[in-house]
Amino acid sequence: MKRFLFILVIASLLLAGCGGAKTPAAGNQPVASSAPAVSTAPTEISMMMWGDPAELDVWNQIVADFHQANPNITVKVEVSDWDSYWTKLKTLLSAGTPPDVFAMDAPLYLDYQSRGVLLNLQPYLDKNPDMLNGVYPQTLEAYKTPDGMYGLPRDFQTIVLFYNKDMFDAAGVAYPTADWTYDDLRAAAKKLTKIGADGKVTQFGYSLDLWDFEPGMSEIIWSYGGDLINAEHTKTLVGAPKAREAFQFLHDMMFVDKSIPDTNTASEYGGDPFLAGVSAMTAFGHWVVPGYTDAKFNWDIAPMPNGPSGRATSVNSAGFVVGKASKNPDAAFEFLKYVLSEPAQTRLAELGFACPVLKSVAESDAFLKQKTQINQKIFLDSLAFAHMKPVFKGYDEWSSTIGDGMAPVWTGEAELGPTLDTVVPAADEVLANNQ
Amino acid sequence: MEYGLRPLGREKFWLFALLTPTFIGLIFGALGSVLATVALSFANWDLLTPPTWAGLANYVNLFKDAKLLLSLTNTIKFSAMYVPGVVIISLLVAVLMNRKIRGVSLFRTAYFLPAVTSAVATALVWNMIYGKDTGILNFILERLGMQPVCWLCTENAMYAVVIVNIWGAIGEGMIIFLAGLTAIPREYYEAAEMDGANGFHQFFNITVPLITPSIFFQTLISTINAFQAYDYIYMLTRRGQGDSSVPVVVFSIYRNAWNFFNYGGASAQAIELTVIVAALMAFYFWLERRYVVYE
Repeated sequence: MKRFLFILVIASLLLAGCGGAKTPAAGNQPVASSAPAVSTAPTEISMMMWGDPAELDVWNQIVADFHQANPNITVKVEVSDWDSYWTKLKTLLSAGTPPDVFAMDAPLYLDYQSRGVLLNLQPYLDKNPDMLNGVYPQTLEAYKTPDGMYGLPRDFQTIVLFYNKDMFDAAGVAYPTADWTYDDLRAAAKKLTKIGADGKVTQFGYSLDLWDFEPGMSEIIWSYGGDLINAEHTKTLVGAPKAREAFQFLHDMMFVDKSIPDTNTASEYGGDPFLAGVSAMTAFGHWVVPGYTDAKFNWDIAPMPNGPSGRATSVNSAGFVVGKASKNPDAAFEFLKYVLSEPAQTRLAELGFACPVLKSVAESDAFLKQKTQINQKIFLDSLAFAHMKPVFKGYDEWSSTIGDGMAPVWTGEAELGPTLDTVVPAADEVLANNQ
Repeated sequence: MEYGLRPLGREKFWLFALLTPTFIGLIFGALGSVLATVALSFANWDLLTPPTWAGLANYVNLFKDAKLLLSLTNTIKFSAMYVPGVVIISLLVAVLMNRKIRGVSLFRTAYFLPAVTSAVATALVWNMIYGKDTGILNFILERLGMQPVCWLCTENAMYAVVIVNIWGAIGEGMIIFLAGLTAIPREYYEAAEMDGANGFHQFFNITVPLITPSIFFQTLISTINAFQAYDYIYMLTRRGQGDSSVPVVVFSIYRNAWNFFNYGGASAQAIELTVIVAALMAFYFWLERRYVVYE
């Protein structure tokens, strides 16, 4: 393992280097793009995504359903964990042999689209004008480019406030409501924090995953009237006065009230003190719901609180794209179309990792009445005040630059203000390099 | 001692026959990758679009990239503690394990276990030892009336990961030294004993000089491992998006290649790492000529 990674990097250099010489496999005869939408010859397409074994089971079902509806198309599914997925995908893309269909996280979409490896789906969408009618429009935004859409969402995530009912009951604090402000959250978190005689905090009021803006940080910045980045994606705005106020608010909760654990402390509880039962509230998307189902306490969700400039949450979607080098683009699009159909969206809703993008399914019992008895509707209602998680070329490096830079602040080893002063120019440089 | 023997006749045939698979692997695998890395280090390449000529830009960046400079400093600090630590401790362990103790193979196995255990699993156990509020180490410190220490906070994390990496490497080092120790003829020790040399003298005047080839080899291997250390460090100090509180150079190479679409920059960093290790190797071989005793 020690040398494995190093060898992997080196070996993939070689693989990628000679990939251009590869000839397509014998079975992948090109299909003329003028062929009818459903080709008559039996076709096999490959589909790659990130996920865990539970997700693979559901996708195998969706693929089987799809095959039943389109007997000529067989889909081969391959699932990897998040990190290996992107490594594998990049290697396949650079070798010119990408999977026909592959999963995309919206913020990273432009990193691929701008490099010309994705198929423009607009001609297909123009032929199927009603296809996206039932889809939440907020989830389509991320995929739009001046020359059309190169990807389609399959499910979405809005960030909500999770709370431990047992802790609220024990402390005699009223549950969070839709009228809550951040000041209410702070006051409640303070009451829910328990500090022992030795000064050690044994229970926190609130905890946040501070590695990424999406869960909990971008929300408060928007609510304070700040923003993450300008519309042209040329200037980082997290150092502007309003954003600083929001950061200061969280910083005070962490170091003055001690109601939020610093990241060193949080990592002792497996990174999620809420799930570990030592934090009364947290902010996450729907992806934590299956994991929280096994929690040994009662919990529910509420919308993110109100701030001086209103209420805000983040919306992000996962979707599918088609490789530009795909030999079976028609069959691939047929599959994307199926993913947005009611039967497939219902299966995804039952899987419970995310919210279906098809409104009729999201508002049906398949999504609203899941195994976990929580107010699922809050995820959908949050769309009304959701901002899109930023989507631009260079997103990964930009967010890593800010995340790395801010990390010492959230461990208590660096000052907030001076850190922001150095992080913002570094992030702007990344943006300049990616123009 | 067989160091001076040369292969003869049929032995020569088998020597080359057995080395062929390794050579094929090296020529077609490693050599190709090395050449590709060198070529890419002069290119701008994001993996997805055709590479463009970058000239020396990637090499100029080696001196400007703040994240890389931090990683390099960390790698050097890490190696400076790790290499002597591994060599000295595994030599001492090997000397202990070279005695006639009851159940010595059990002890040897115990020392070797980390080498064959998944680094991810052992790192999780170390996390439980190092935890600030819930860790075993701080529990013991508090019982002894001392202040708890934040072992994996930035100021201590370097030492914490060095300890874990040394612990993980003792087993392999022990095997190398045991092989060297068993080759030292017993008569030397017996003669020394008759002359009245105690264990301490025997160790420094017989064991150490005669085991210099093993010390040399182990130092070399440990240095290479130190510059490529990744898995324990990742598991113990990782942060979001592939970062670490003690990022070493491998973090920088990996993230530039796979997360930041900067394959050219990653290649230049890999070359830089190779050049540093090669320079150290040259220095070691110079030392070898002066100090290593081949009997």
